[in-house]
Amino acid sequence: MRIKILIVDDEKPICDLMEMNLQAAGYDCKAVQDGLEAIRLIEQEKFDLILLDIMLPGADGYDIMEYIRPLKIPVIFVTAKHEVKDRVKGLKLGAEDYLVKPFDVVELMARVEVVLRRFKKTATVLTAGDVTVDLESRKVTKAGVPVELTNKEYGLLVLFMQNKNIALFKENLYEQVWEDEYLANSRTVEIHVQRLRKKVGWEKCLVAVYKVGYRLECED
Amino acid sequence: MKFSYKILICTIMIMAAAFGFSGYYFVNYIFETSLEREVSQAMDDSSVLQFAFETAALNIPSKYDILPDSIAEQIGFSLENSGKGNGRLLRLSDEEKRVLYVSDGFAETADFLDKTSEETRIYQVLPQGERYYIQTGTKFYALGRVLYLETMRDVTEVFKERAMGFSVYRKVTVVVLLVSSLVMLFLSRWLTEPIRRLKDAAKKMASGDYRVRAVCSSTDEMGELTKDFNRMAEALENTIQNLKEEVQAREEFIAAFSHELKTPLTSMVGYADMLRSRKLEEEKQFLAANYIYTESRRLEKMSFRLLDMIVAKQQGAARRKTEVSVFFEHLREMFGNDDSVELRISYEAAEVCADTELLTTVLINLTDNAVKASKPGGVIELNGRREEEGYRFLVKDYGEGIPAEECKKITEAFYMVDKSRSRSKNGAGLGLALCSTFLELHGTCLEIESCPGKGSCFSFLLPKEVLNEEK
Repeated sequence: MRIKILIVDDEKPICDLMEMNLQAAGYDCKAVQDGLEAIRLIEQEKFDLILLDIMLPGADGYDIMEYIRPLKIPVIFVTAKHEVKDRVKGLKLGAEDYLVKPFDVVELMARVEVVLRRFKKTATVLTAGDVTVDLESRKVTKAGVPVELTNKEYGLLVLFMQNKNIALFKENLYEQVWEDEYLANSRTVEIHVQRLRKKVGWEKCLVAVYKVGYRLECED
Repeated sequence: MKFSYKILICTIMIMAAAFGFSGYYFVNYIFETSLEREVSQAMDDSSVLQFAFETAALNIPSKYDILPDSIAEQIGFSLENSGKGNGRLLRLSDEEKRVLYVSDGFAETADFLDKTSEETRIYQVLPQGERYYIQTGTKFYALGRVLYLETMRDVTEVFKERAMGFSVYRKVTVVVLLVSSLVMLFLSRWLTEPIRRLKDAAKKMASGDYRVRAVCSSTDEMGELTKDFNRMAEALENTIQNLKEEVQAREEFIAAFSHELKTPLTSMVGYADMLRSRKLEEEKQFLAANYIYTESRRLEKMSFRLLDMIVAKQQGAARRKTEVSVFFEHLREMFGNDDSVELRISYEAAEVCADTELLTTVLINLTDNAVKASKPGGVIELNGRREEEGYRFLVKDYGEGIPAEECKKITEAFYMVDKSRSRSKNGAGLGLALCSTFLELHGTCLEIESCPGKGSCFSFLLPKEVLNEEK
């Protein structure tokens, strides 16, 4: 069964952006631009996750959240309201996460992944070629043989496996794994990727994209 | 220390001093008059005794040329006996001041008699233990002898009365002071009540409650002060209210601005990221590029509008005399070819003094809004008419209308009645904010009448001073 995600945002371009990326990652998506329309859809269909904006025509995000809460559908707020009090309000209302616009697509995907995993709606085992990662026990195996990875290497590996065939930029990788601001000319990412390549034997399929980053190439 | 206590203490001190001084003076005055009376009585006694002695001396047998001591003693004795009961004592001495006769209990005094002479009768007040006496002394001649007569008169009563007077007066003073302090305590509290109320009000204001007012109950200086204080509080409250509103408006502006900034940025960043990191089908690639383009234009438009507002605010309006027909013909040119709406233009000819560019922008914005609000084929009326105070421009549509509670906020920057619709028609929520800014520069404001479902009428009145009617 495919995972269904509802996108509620009054901006068509942003709806399309999220929809295109989530679809590319293999999720089923529906997008609406109106609060009341969103409530109508939630009544009709069953969703596994809702990405919710706050400033909406019809009914605002907080109202929709109140409505969703008893249905126990996980919600991620995606909004331009960046103040701490807005975030606290959103999370207190029962949202699983809060993402501030403008966001990086990679970050959106990672957060969606985390929330879905928390609700056990997504596979907890990722595979690429003969490499498998158990996200719950954090075990990595290559052709059945366990591989020892450091924390950062593990983070990189998971990111690559979640974004197969997508070029990941060094700054994005750095921001996601190290959770810090990327400094130009830093070779940290390169060094870790080198080590990861060796440890899991990806010398060929983890290719460098000229000047910008890396892409995991594999056929599923 | 409290002000009322200060008043109280000062009053008590002044009262105590006044009572003390006047009481002392009064009691003493009475004492001195009674003493004087006693003294003159004693003097009278003394002269009566002297006269009696001289008379007795004249009556003695003529065998004596000179008064013998024994006779003098006898006369003294009889004189004393005659005055027994009135507490008078006497002493009789001869020229060498040897005592010839003395009553019991007469005091021993030295040198007193030295001061006497024939003409003068002297006296002194003499304390004897607990008792007081007036002692008189005089010198006289009787039958060839010089004699000295002294008397003592008991005046203890007078002194006792004075002491009594003082003690009674002290008691009265204490009681009066106590009673008057009590009265004064209440009085001073009552008098300083307005001060206390002012103080409390000021304290509350200092801690941030600007709605408090002091109760004003009198018409004296205190009442005036209270009134002035209240006026000040009123002014302060208003100022602070205004400041708060301004701050809130600014916060809202910034929040709206950041929202309007972030929304296109999110799309631009997201699509650009998609384009660079993934191979997309041609169709999606076009979509992404197109979104980046339209969102950039939107951002550009918003920044230009904001810039217009800032620039116009700084430069002000450059007014020139212009025929109103210029504006209406310009609008006819711009919107006349739009088939989706029917434009009805009618105006009275006049010449207004205005910044053509700004006013044109206002009219275009209003007309553009009217077009957006109208259904396809709807009617838009553009009117211009002379009024007593000036020249009025009206833009009227029969479209969706605006709910009454939204009318106030509609000129705020980034405010949109229907956000999704407004965006889909490429609005940034700045049009009316821009209009009201420009109109403010012309000394007027936007008036909005609207009824949901029936349409809206936006109008503004260019006041006379910027209007020069054709004669």
